[in-house]
This record gives sequence, C-alpha cells and structure tokens, in this order.
Amino acid sequence: MINLIRAEWRKVTTVKLGWGMLLGALALAALGVVAQIASNGNGANGSPLPPLSAAETQRSIAASAGSAYLFSVVVGIILITTEFRHFTSRPTFLIEPRRGRVIVAKVIVAAVVGIIYGLACAALTAAIMAPWFAALGVSIGWTSNGVLLSMLGDILVIAIFAVVGIGVGVLVRNQIAAVIGALVYLFVLEPLIDIIPVVKNAYPYLPGAAGAAITGVNRGSLAHLNAVQGGFVLLGWGLFFALCGWILTIRRDIP
Amino acid sequence: MSPEPSAVEGRIVASALTKVFGEVKAVDDLSFTVEPGSVTGFLGPNGAGKTTTLRMILGLATPTSGAGTISGVAYAHLPVPGRTVGAVLEATSFHPGRSARNHLRVFCAAAGLPDKRADEVLEWVGLTQAARYAVHGFSLGMRQRLALATALLGNPRVLLLDEPANGLDPEGIAWLRGLLRHFADVDGRTVLISSHVLSEVEQTVDRVVIIARGRFIYEGKLADLEGASGGVVVRTPTPDQFATAVASLNAKVTPRADGSLAVVGATPEAVGRAAWEAHVELHELRAGSSSLEETFLRLTAEPAAPPGPTP
Repeated sequence: MINLIRAEWRKVTTVKLGWGMLLGALALAALGVVAQIASNGNGANGSPLPPLSAAETQRSIAASAGSAYLFSVVVGIILITTEFRHFTSRPTFLIEPRRGRVIVAKVIVAAVVGIIYGLACAALTAAIMAPWFAALGVSIGWTSNGVLLSMLGDILVIAIFAVVGIGVGVLVRNQIAAVIGALVYLFVLEPLIDIIPVVKNAYPYLPGAAGAAITGVNRGSLAHLNAVQGGFVLLGWGLFFALCGWILTIRRDIP
Repeated sequence: MSPEPSAVEGRIVASALTKVFGEVKAVDDLSFTVEPGSVTGFLGPNGAGKTTTLRMILGLATPTSGAGTISGVAYAHLPVPGRTVGAVLEATSFHPGRSARNHLRVFCAAAGLPDKRADEVLEWVGLTQAARYAVHGFSLGMRQRLALATALLGNPRVLLLDEPANGLDPEGIAWLRGLLRHFADVDGRTVLISSHVLSEVEQTVDRVVIIARGRFIYEGKLADLEGASGGVVVRTPTPDQFATAVASLNAKVTPRADGSLAVVGATPEAVGRAAWEAHVELHELRAGSSSLEETFLRLTAEPAAPPGPTP
C-alpha cells in the first residue's frame, strides 16, 4: 500500500498542474479575504455590516478562504481523469490489478494534497488578516472569536472536496466534462435547488452547503447546519464519492 | 487446484474469450496458446480485436465469457504481476508533461523497485539522453522505446506488446527484433507481439496467431504458413461439397474474385486426394503463387457477402 501511495504522490509532484492549481487556490482565498476586509466599513458611516471587531465578521473573513475548495475539487478530478485521458491507467492497473487499492491510494494522496492546499490558504489568510487588522487597530480573537476554528474548517472543506473530486472523476471519466459538471453543479445547480420549494429542504445537506456550514458561513434561505453537523455531512459525501469510485473502478473496464 | 495443462510457467492461454460491446462482438470465442521460449505474432487487420484480447488477458477488461490466463492463473491472481508480466498497449500511456525518467520512477514506486531501475531500462532502450525531457516532445519511435522501457521495468518473464514496431525506424525495428529474439531464445521468456502487418514482424516471430473480425483464423508456426503460403487454387461446381471434403485437412477455404476457391494450409496433393475421395468434381487444381503477405490478407479478408439483403 505504501508503494502505491508513493507512486500516486510522485504522479502529483512530477507534473506542473498541482502547483498551478495551488496558486489558483491561494489567489481565490486571498481575493475572498481581501474583498471582505476592504468592503467592511468597520462600523463607520452607517455601514450595514457589523464592525471588524465583531466575532462574526472575523470568522466570516477567515472562512472566505474556504472558497479555495473549488480548486481542490478540480485537482481531485484531474488526479484520476488524467489516468484515463492519457491511458496511464493501463500501466497503473497492470502493476496493481487490485484496483480498489489504487483508488484508496489516490484518495489518501488527494486528501493530503487537499490538506496542503488548505494549510497554505489558511496561512495566507492569517498573513493578510494579522497586519491589516493591526494597522486598523483592531485585535483579532484568534481563539476567543473562533477565527482559528474557522480556518480549521477551511482546511477540512478543501481536503474533503479533493476526495470528492476523485469520486466525481471516476464517475465521469471525461476530464473536461467532469470538471465543468462539478463547477456547474456547485455554482448553478446547488444554488438553484435552494430556491425550489420542498426540494430546498435538502439544501443544507448538499456538499456545497455543508462545506459552507463547516466554516460557519450561513448560505441559503434555510437555517443551516452547525459546523460539526456540516463536517459530518461533508465527510459523508467524501466517503460516498470515494466508495462510488472504488466500486466503479473495480466493476468497469479500464480503457 | 490440480495442475492443468495451462499451468506451465510463462504460458499464455486464451480460452473461448468473448467480448461484446453493445451489439458488437469485438472478440468471438477466441482460443489460442502462446508458449514460453518463442516470439509469437498476434496478427489481424485493424479492428480485428487484438487490443481487446490483450486487455482481457491483462485483466484490464472483463471478458463477456471465456477466460485468459498467464502461467495458469488469471492476471489479477499472479503473485507479483508487475514483475511477472510486462505489457505495452499502444505507445500512448504517458502524461505529456512528465519526464521519461519520472514516468518510470512513478511505476518503480508502484512496483516496489529501486529508482535506479528507471535509469537502467532507459539506457537499455537508448533514451538516456532524453530522460529528463517531458514526453510531449517525444517522437512516436521514442514513445515506443519508453513504453517498452516501462514494460521491462520489472524484468518480466512474459512480454505482451501491442504494435511495438509502429513508428520505429528500420534501425529501431532491427534493434527490437534482436532484443525480442534474445528474450525468447536465450532467456526462454514468452513474447507476444501484435501487428496488423505480417511483413513487419515476419522476421521476428516464429509462431503466429491470426484473428479477423474477432474470430480465430490460424495458429501455428510461421514456417508452416510459409510452406502453405502458395496455397492451392481450385475450381469446382460444388463449392459446399468441396469445403466439406477438405474440412479434415484443417485448411481454410476462401472464394476468390474470379469464382475459384483458394485453399490455404494444405498441399495440392492433399486437396486433390480429399476431393477425389469425396467424389467432388474439380475443374481446376493448381498450386497458387502468393507471398506470405498475400496469404495473410486472404486469410483475414472479409467473407463474400451472402446473397440477399444485408442486415
């Protein structure tokens, strides 16, 4: 097993894509954090937003780095679909015909890559927040206001979505279709579900909404799950997609 | 399990392999055996089902029915498949952005081989100079060499190569021939190479398995095919009776464009005797004069369309 994990890790580190996507994730995280701080009037001029000193605001700013999960889900998808696109699936499954083990190795490596992305995004968020707040003379309640917890949520969300990506990539082997499908779902379909009567009751349990709940952001029209509930729901989605990937890879022919 | 005849170390056996895609029978009840110590050509026109057959033997595709075994067991049940079997399925299994050396190192890790093995096989196939370059800049011939290097990583006892000569220059083909002959003759390994052109491999192989449209056509020594390659040309008013008469010769009867029949795999003497014994009227019986390649083409040609509307 350790051999397979080493092989999968090498697949990630020997091509440029992983680094490029990391830069993308960092840029998206930074954009969210900067936009939130900059647009907050800090309570002045009758700004409708709570001031920067508010615990809710600080958590929300830290949580916006979680939007980098868009990149980790794409990385997860690409990790697996690249095998089918370039037929490296052939030597991969020739060397290890027990296909389930290959998928387990991929899920582990995807989770590790996701955690690295998450750590990098959280570190960048802290690096932006700390000097900016200091300059404004606002103190950050890292623990008292739950900012660190929000960042931990970011890391979790980004890591789990990388695993979800593996499952999606097994389900839809065509790389472009899988990436576009996942993004369309997260950006269009899931928000759409939130506005359809009756169906919208399921909304808080969908992957995107559960991810948002982990980082403490209220999204959607209904009361959202709390962070722990969201964590379990998203973890469930991650396991579900990993299991789908495992079963389908064993059952279907390798192209 | 009791020892089966197929349980010879290094022997590849296809038994009644069948693969159906939707309504298409890509491989239809295909059986053959590939022995260690020989280079066997796996021949058939494009689309004959060669790659699908290899994928089933290698466990990448599940047969609709039938089974393929290596050393008597299914591929997935080999103790260490990565170090027992080396296979190339078309020379396209690379990430274009990964260097040749890193490509091999990925699979060194997966197979539990030391990294220096990557450099060894690169030198073996003559790619040491290109080792650090990304594969997207490689020519087809270089990709073939890298694919072969990947197959050789685990120093396998059994080699299955799909169209390995494709894209190689004449010098490369000669080099490949020497390598494969050495594996079979000196090391006693099993080598199966597929091709859609007999002439490409006829100097390399000693046995052939020929398929067309997913079906078995011929299996045997290349020399036997050569001996019969002239074939026999026959003209008869009762082709069906004639086919029955020569059925025991294991020869293949195919209609020729001019209405006569070509018999491949038997001598004129044997065909004449069989016809005479069965009281089949012959209007012509002569030795044909075709090359090995023509024989191959005739063996694998589309059958004449049956009368009436086609489905």
